[in-house]
Amino acid sequence: MTSRIQIVAILGSVAFLLLVLELVRRRRLAEEYSALWIVAALMLLVASIRRDLIDRTASWLGIYYGPAVLLLGLVVVVSAVLLWMSVILSRQQSQIDHLIEETAILSAELRDERRAGAAEAAPYVGAGPKTPRA
Amino acid sequence: MRRALTLIPAHNEAANLPAVVAEIRERRPDLDILVVDDGSTDDTSQVLDRLGVRWLGWPQRRGVGCAVRAGLRYGARLGFDVIVRLDADGQHDAGAISRLLARLEQDDVDAVMGSRYADSYPGSAMVKRALAGVVSMASRRRVTDATSGFWALGPRAVTLLAAHHPRGYPEPELHLLLSRNGLTVAEVPVRSRARLSGRSTLTLLRLLAAGARVLLAVVIVPLRERVDP
Repeated sequence: MTSRIQIVAILGSVAFLLLVLELVRRRRLAEEYSALWIVAALMLLVASIRRDLIDRTASWLGIYYGPAVLLLGLVVVVSAVLLWMSVILSRQQSQIDHLIEETAILSAELRDERRAGAAEAAPYVGAGPKTPRA
Repeated sequence: MRRALTLIPAHNEAANLPAVVAEIRERRPDLDILVVDDGSTDDTSQVLDRLGVRWLGWPQRRGVGCAVRAGLRYGARLGFDVIVRLDADGQHDAGAISRLLARLEQDDVDAVMGSRYADSYPGSAMVKRALAGVVSMASRRRVTDATSGFWALGPRAVTLLAAHHPRGYPEPELHLLLSRNGLTVAEVPVRSRARLSGRSTLTLLRLLAAGARVLLAVVIVPLRERVDP
């Protein structure tokens, strides 16, 4: 028995899955960050096709109102994605920190080199014949 | 013979840096000086060029922890194995550097901290006293001044902190990190002066955020894996 809402849900899930895959294809979403979204889209698709799964999960969990399971699943997936994003953000912050510090150190080393070079060159400026110092 | 470097993290301290650097040069002319300019928006970079000290810098403010870490990494790369860290606002007496280094020279500790409250706490320092108590408990050693920014770090501490110096509001967490990794710290009493000019960058909101961070560190740092310095 296929109701209108089921068709809409299946189409929505497929569209979502395709959107994720398209973002990966266009390199707008890196493969390593797409996995969780693909899993979420597939779960949504399975739940749309096999509605009895929702009802069975609801009764197993002791939830009287079936669709609440869907909301619960959504909250769990979204929370997992957000937590994961925070982990990625933290990792990237530490990588950026490292890069900023390395750049600052390199620029200081360059400044030191130039200063040393200028100090070595200075005695020759307008000082007659260029004889290297001992 | 150990090579020692003075490390000064600075944010908008153009007015104080000349006096701080001059005092260090007067008291300890043998020490190299490195200033880390943490995204200052005043004339700090021009002042640094004029002072003729080594310096590191970046365009945006990232916090004193990041500044110290970068300075330690640069210092270690330049071959310094002892690094004295002090504040750029002039509150630390450069005359005490020799006492910190002398204590470090005794070779039984990895770091020496200048403590403002080694003898007693003034009435206005109740919060700092409580914080020192919490940090002492969590690090299982006596810490009388958990927010001091006056340190002499030996080779093991330099190596550890060049990679793992805490960020944010780092001083209390520093004690926990050193303790967790088995590095020893001695305290030397120091006098604290009022900052030469300008205002401290600590606001109420920053203070609350710092408190929350310290609480988290007290719980988490002792549970972290040890790192090999």
